[in-house]
Amino acid sequence: MSTAAAARHMPVALQYAEVAVPGAGVGLVAGAFAAGVAAMAGLPAVQIATIATGLGVPLALLGAGYCVLLALGKFGVGALGPVAFYWLIGFPLARLVDQFAVATVLGHDQVLREPLLSFLLFQAMLSMGFAIGFLWLHERIAPHLLIRIQYHNPVAAGLVERYVEQATKLEARRRTAKEEREAKRARRRGSS
Amino acid sequence: MDSSDINSDRPLGRDDVTSTDPPEVPVPAQRGPAPSESGASDTGAAEAGATEAPEEERFWKAGRLEPMPIRKLPKAPPSVHLLGPTVFLVALGVGMGESYMWPRLVLIFGPEIRWLFLIGVSLQAVVMLEMSRYAMATGESIFFGAARVFKPLMWFFFITAMLVYIWPGHLSAGASAFERVSGIPWQATAVTGMLLVGVIFTMAKVIYNLLENVLSICIGLLVVGTSIVAALVGNLSDLSSTITGMFAFGYMPEEALTAAWFPVIVGSIAFAGPSGMQQMWYTLHLRDKGAGMGSHIPKVRGLRHADEQETMPTRGFMFDTSDSEEMAKWKGWRRWVTFDAFALFWGITMLVTISFTVLAQASARFDPNVATVIRDGERDAALDAMAASFTAAGSPIFGTVFFLFISLIGLNATFGLFDSFSRGQADMTYYFVPGARRFSMSKLYAFFLWGVILFGIGVLLFGPADGPAAILDTLAFLSTFAMGAYCVTLLLVNNLMLPKPVRPGIVSNLIIAFAAVFYLGMLFYSLFAYGVVVS
Repeated sequence: MSTAAAARHMPVALQYAEVAVPGAGVGLVAGAFAAGVAAMAGLPAVQIATIATGLGVPLALLGAGYCVLLALGKFGVGALGPVAFYWLIGFPLARLVDQFAVATVLGHDQVLREPLLSFLLFQAMLSMGFAIGFLWLHERIAPHLLIRIQYHNPVAAGLVERYVEQATKLEARRRTAKEEREAKRARRRGSS
Repeated sequence: MDSSDINSDRPLGRDDVTSTDPPEVPVPAQRGPAPSESGASDTGAAEAGATEAPEEERFWKAGRLEPMPIRKLPKAPPSVHLLGPTVFLVALGVGMGESYMWPRLVLIFGPEIRWLFLIGVSLQAVVMLEMSRYAMATGESIFFGAARVFKPLMWFFFITAMLVYIWPGHLSAGASAFERVSGIPWQATAVTGMLLVGVIFTMAKVIYNLLENVLSICIGLLVVGTSIVAALVGNLSDLSSTITGMFAFGYMPEEALTAAWFPVIVGSIAFAGPSGMQQMWYTLHLRDKGAGMGSHIPKVRGLRHADEQETMPTRGFMFDTSDSEEMAKWKGWRRWVTFDAFALFWGITMLVTISFTVLAQASARFDPNVATVIRDGERDAALDAMAASFTAAGSPIFGTVFFLFISLIGLNATFGLFDSFSRGQADMTYYFVPGARRFSMSKLYAFFLWGVILFGIGVLLFGPADGPAAILDTLAFLSTFAMGAYCVTLLLVNNLMLPKPVRPGIVSNLIIAFAAVFYLGMLFYSLFAYGVVVS
């Protein structure tokens, strides 16, 4: 089957799903970090599963969501600001889900150790670190995958194009800014 | 598509212009300036040849060593990028200082003591910027620059590196932490780790590319992982006190000025971020990344691909600083490295230490006994206590996670240190040991790499890992002294060996001079006032 034919046969949802793999992967790795170690530490299977699902799944879903929004053009490629904002909301929510899941499964009466507002604020502050790590890993992994799948996945091809475009635009923007600065300097010299 | 990789697809060999240089321009290794080469004018590198015919080779004369031919400066990649040679500094810098020494000081003196950490890391960010100046302008390492000023200065660093960095003690913390998780004796892990590093670097086609990828993933995992664990065990008051403590300028409790603590605090400031000679090695990583004029120098290859190693030019290159287009490109490179220094190096180091400090504060909250153990200063016992408190607070996973982080940090340091040491020693040997150039750079690199690995294995199995007890103080002294010495070297190299348009400004010079006085002053004050070397 030719790549064009493959692209025709691939449902759009599947194309987005494929593009979402790196983000979901990073989210899953991050969330499952604790769960994997829980297994090494010999915790009961229920607890490991709770940690894996409670934190891993929300982070993976949010990671995938980031990729989809990126592919839809809602985020600029590699831009930290929007990612930081995204995780500012997403990370505390994922932690909240995790706390509820652990408390429910293990039968704890108390869900949070501190007031809800303090908890959310603390998690939101830490989300910055998570956002940087997430973006760092995503930008390291995603381009390799996108380049590989771009021939059968038009969504990935579009994203690859945007990465290239962005690099070109950045360069052009810098050149324009430099020209403007020089023109301003020349005008100032002329007037004095 | 990481924008920082824009320059990474450059040809691995020298570019068209430089590939013809050494044979066709037979310049003696050392000599006085010939009229056609004495471009030592303060107004720009190109003036040297301004009166010559255009096709004639032009040079920048720096010191008494071989002049640097003028070549084109490549265009800088976009300044906002995600990865770069900084990953080496972060990997080396985020070590025991950040994960243990500073959290320990916070538990003893309170979070307000962190303002000293802020000063230490900020100084290192400026040092990093200045280290990059000479390396990016010439493609030469800072060691070569030091030799241009005064050769014995370079030999001092060569000997210091041999004395300080051949001991495998830095492996013990990471390997011991792994022992607690896996039960595998730490010596076995350390020996396996060293052999693994040796084999990987031997098989790699281009060592830099491999290492940047490995360290990037490790640092990414460390940042994500520490954020998550801090989110699991910390609370708002831990975090806010950690952050506000960084701005408590001038806070200095009386106990900190005692013989017991002053040397520890000085050592912690000096070792905030990359310590010892790590900043100097960064210039070699910049060169292999192809930053600035480093793009004219071939990359170091693994021993298995030594036959493909291109001949290294006998010196670096300079660009035409009187050409406004070249200077615009230079500014682009400065922006690129400034982003590296402040957003990546400073930012990531801060993030990781904040997370570790939150972890330490949480551990002391869970188990007040931790603070007592930490105060006693026995590192392994303190790490054990911190891990145990996490375990007691929630589940064994927290303690295990903590140890895994320490192992990850140890792994980063092993990769980074072995590569950096071998790179630095090979560079100095290749250029300054008579007859060494008959071996390619990759063979010299492999010689030092396997030398330090085999020596390390021998010491781990039969001797003291940190070095003989009798010279421990000397090694600690040398490590800190090297930091003061490289600040002085930086001032000399950047201000005497570079054309005026690319020399540092007064503010940068003042900061580096302050750093030199600070590192050397504190070192000698500690020695004479308390009779103790920094620790």
